[in-house]
Amino acid sequence: MTKKIISFSIVIALLLVSMIYSATTGSIKMGFFEFIGALFEEGNSQMEAIRDLRFPRIIVALFAGAALSVSGVLLQSVMRNPLADAGVIGISSGAAFVQLFIISFFPALFFMTPVLAFIGGAFACVLVFALSWKSGLSPLKLILVGIAINAMFTGLTEAFLSLGGSLNTSATSVVGSNLTMRTWKDVSTIATYGAIGLVAAFALYSWCNLLVLQDKTAKSLGFNVARARLIIAAVAVLLSAVSVVVAGVISFVGLLVPHIARRLVGHDHRVLMPFTALAGALLILVADTIGRTMVAPIEIPASTIMAIIGGPFLIFLLRKE
Amino acid sequence: MEIQDIIVSHDNIHNHLDGVSTKIQKGKITTIIGPNGCGKSTLLSVMSRNHMPKSGNISLENKDLVHYKPKEFAKKLAIVYQQNDVPKDLTIEKLVSFGRLPHHTMLKRNDEDDKKAIDWALSCTNLLEKRDNDLVALSGGERQRVWIAMALAQQSEILCLDEPTTYLDIYYQMELLELVKALNKDYGLTIVMVLHDINQAIRYSNHIILMKDGYIMAEGAPRDVITKEVIKEVYGVEAIFNEDEQLGLYMVPIGI
Repeated sequence: MTKKIISFSIVIALLLVSMIYSATTGSIKMGFFEFIGALFEEGNSQMEAIRDLRFPRIIVALFAGAALSVSGVLLQSVMRNPLADAGVIGISSGAAFVQLFIISFFPALFFMTPVLAFIGGAFACVLVFALSWKSGLSPLKLILVGIAINAMFTGLTEAFLSLGGSLNTSATSVVGSNLTMRTWKDVSTIATYGAIGLVAAFALYSWCNLLVLQDKTAKSLGFNVARARLIIAAVAVLLSAVSVVVAGVISFVGLLVPHIARRLVGHDHRVLMPFTALAGALLILVADTIGRTMVAPIEIPASTIMAIIGGPFLIFLLRKE
Repeated sequence: MEIQDIIVSHDNIHNHLDGVSTKIQKGKITTIIGPNGCGKSTLLSVMSRNHMPKSGNISLENKDLVHYKPKEFAKKLAIVYQQNDVPKDLTIEKLVSFGRLPHHTMLKRNDEDDKKAIDWALSCTNLLEKRDNDLVALSGGERQRVWIAMALAQQSEILCLDEPTTYLDIYYQMELLELVKALNKDYGLTIVMVLHDINQAIRYSNHIILMKDGYIMAEGAPRDVITKEVIKEVYGVEAIFNEDEQLGLYMVPIGI
């Protein structure tokens, strides 16, 4: 019990520190007390810039991290597979591609991007499921199928961009996973859909706990396994789709965070999910802050940093399997 | 439970159950035996609604099985499968509490009843003191008891067991069968189980269903069903039979 409390306290403390550090570091610098003072002060021009540029970016990073990590927990539960991650198995790239494809032909549907991304993610998720179902969702087979689906959608996206990039210049922003230039409009998108997804995910914790049982055992308890899988997977796709819309494709978050979280707070989803959300938010915020401050003014996207950390981590998990 | 003309095919080529009809008597221990691939586990699977038959019907308390809602059925019949993956980081009590699921609805659950049922299930299976232990740390025999405890927490009238003794050593086999016997005697549970060991089946059952190639060869009281001729015919094994004053009938296979 104490281990859980300590873990939660440390993550929350780190989260606060990173938020303040991230808000006060960059081309405009501020001391801690100066920042706190400016928060409650009207008309500070530096603070206005921070408010317009950095706050949205920080909030987007937090929500994207939380959404992707919780999406990972849900997928791992649904697929009974510790290696499932929306980025690795192609759900994110499916969401990115379908969104890009449809917006390019029907720019008027721009306001519907979250829905389109959801459709794309769901399509990729169904493909992965259908193609690896026969093997009883064996962990390695599912990852292989997922990597193939991911490669396919990433390839389609790149081909589409090189062929018809001129159709829609804003298209690149969909694929690039840079968190620069996020606005309060992005914040409202990810905060709305992200919050819905996170609350829904938490509401499903007892279903996620039951899915550790084999299907036939869960069924014998009168548990509707198929329905639970469908709903949990839908929430997972929603969470990854909304983060794709606002923050682009970021892989490995949903793999790394839940894995470490399980070690710290255990497998009970009631505790695991809130912790994963906090830790995921922390990870992406840190990755983004490092990316934009380390070699400023050049920015390294958070997704690149995640790929550099996440790749070796996946190999480590695969070797352990 | 009445079973009528059940036909099951896993591949639509062979019939794995080929017109099985029987009746499971309430409050009795029924054991299904037969050689590998005879359809005994499939029969249990159909009775517990894990498999839907191609044709035929099964009714429980004069109601067709397909008309039961999942949770309603789980309150009538519980099943323990032969092999169970052991989830990580789960205590015995937590796993057993999953057995209460059929009694919960979206809005309603009775914590008092749940606690009583879980305590009862744990005490029947002699796990009260270990309730906070992690599943992973248990021996094979204890794990099997935990799964049974989960099924007991469902508080169903019928308990099905698919080869409950298969992976256990003799000590735990005996312990488990004694537990089954006690559950039947003390609480009137109807037991339906699949066993491999013919002597155990003779000793612990009121009723034996002997299967071969997807149909029922013989059924009835143990000593009526298990005879030299039948064993030769079903298993292709020569056996001698003996009668012990305390143990009753037993069989020793001697050759093929």
